[in-house]
Amino acid sequence: MNRFHEWRGQRPFVGGLLLALGGAEILVTMKAPLPVILHIGMQGLAGYLIPGVMIVCGLLIMFNPAQRLFYSIIGVLLSVGTWLTSNIGGFLIGLVLGVTGSVLAFGWLPDQEPRKKRHQLRRHRDQASPAATP
Amino acid sequence: MASPADATASNDSTPVRPERRGRVRMRRAAVMAVPATALTAALMILTAEGALGVQFAISGMPFVVTADKLEGQGFAQYGSLDEMIPDSPNQGDTGGQVLVVTSVVKNGKLNNLCQSVDLGGIKLVLTAGGGSTPVSVKNLAIDSDEIKGDAAFNNIEIGRDSSTFDKVDQKGPKGVYGQQAEKVVITDLYQHNYAATAAVFKLPDLRMWFGDKGCPQ
Repeated sequence: MNRFHEWRGQRPFVGGLLLALGGAEILVTMKAPLPVILHIGMQGLAGYLIPGVMIVCGLLIMFNPAQRLFYSIIGVLLSVGTWLTSNIGGFLIGLVLGVTGSVLAFGWLPDQEPRKKRHQLRRHRDQASPAATP
Repeated sequence: MASPADATASNDSTPVRPERRGRVRMRRAAVMAVPATALTAALMILTAEGALGVQFAISGMPFVVTADKLEGQGFAQYGSLDEMIPDSPNQGDTGGQVLVVTSVVKNGKLNNLCQSVDLGGIKLVLTAGGGSTPVSVKNLAIDSDEIKGDAAFNNIEIGRDSSTFDKVDQKGPKGVYGQQAEKVVITDLYQHNYAATAAVFKLPDLRMWFGDKGCPQ
C-alpha cells in the first residue's frame, strides 16, 4: 500500500485514471456492430478509435508521466471530439471524465512539497492525506 | 521510452523522497481547463442549433401527398440530405442518400389531404380533412424531391441563408440556400416525399385503406 502511495505521488495518477475511464465509458456506450461500422467508413470507425486512443493516453499518462503534457493535450482534444463521433461523448459522462482527467494531468507537477516541510519528513509520513498542503 | 522516474527529472539530481509528491497546480490546470470548457460549450451550442429538422433514418420508400389547398402561416424551404439505414434494400444506386428540399410550415391548414405509399403492387392510402374541418399542422417539416402546385407567397425572401430563418421555428444548415415567406397558399398541391415530421398533426375524418390506386393527381 505504501509503495503504491509512493508510486502515485510520482505521476498524475488521478488525471490519467479519469481519462482512461472516460474513454472506457464511451466505448461501453458504443453499440454499433462491426459490419455497420465498416459500411459507414471512417466516420463510424472514429467512434471507436477516438475513445480507444483516450484510454491509451490515460494509461500512458500513468506509466510514462514524463510525456504527460503531450498525452493530456491529445486527451483533451479527443475527449471534446467524442461529442461528434461517439454518442455525444458517451452521453456527456465520458466527455466530462476525459476533459477533467486531461486537465488534471496537464496541471500536475512533480515534487511539489514546500521546502520548509523537509525537516518534518517523518511526521509527514504519518499524515494520511496525500495532498494535504496547498 | 522514458522511465517513470523521469517525471521528477525536472527538479534536481537528489533522490526522490516519497514525501515530495507531485500535485495538481490549479493555475496550470486552468490553462487547459478554460479553453477546453469553452470549446465543449461551443460544440454543444452549435449542435443544438443545427440539430433541428429530420434526424431519423428514412425508409427510402417515397410517399405521395396531395391536397386541394394548403394554407400556411410562416413558411420556409431549404435543401438537405436524407439518409437511409445502412444497406437499405431501397437505396438502389443512390448510396442510401436522397437529396430533398425541406419545407417547413409553422401553422398550416390542409383541405382534402391524401397520402399514399406504394408497397410494391398495393398502395396504402390515407385521406383526411375532406369534411368541413381541415387538417391542421404545427411545425411541419416535410422532405420532398418533387413538389407541384399553384403557389402564392406573401413577403417572400428568396436566397436567404437557411440558418437565419425567422419566420419559422426551425433553422436549416449554415450556408445553404433557403427561402422563407410569411404566408403561403398552394392549391392543387402534389408532393413526392421521403420524410415528414410535425409537432402537431391533426387529422379529422381519417381513413386508411389498401387499394390499387394511389392519390389522384
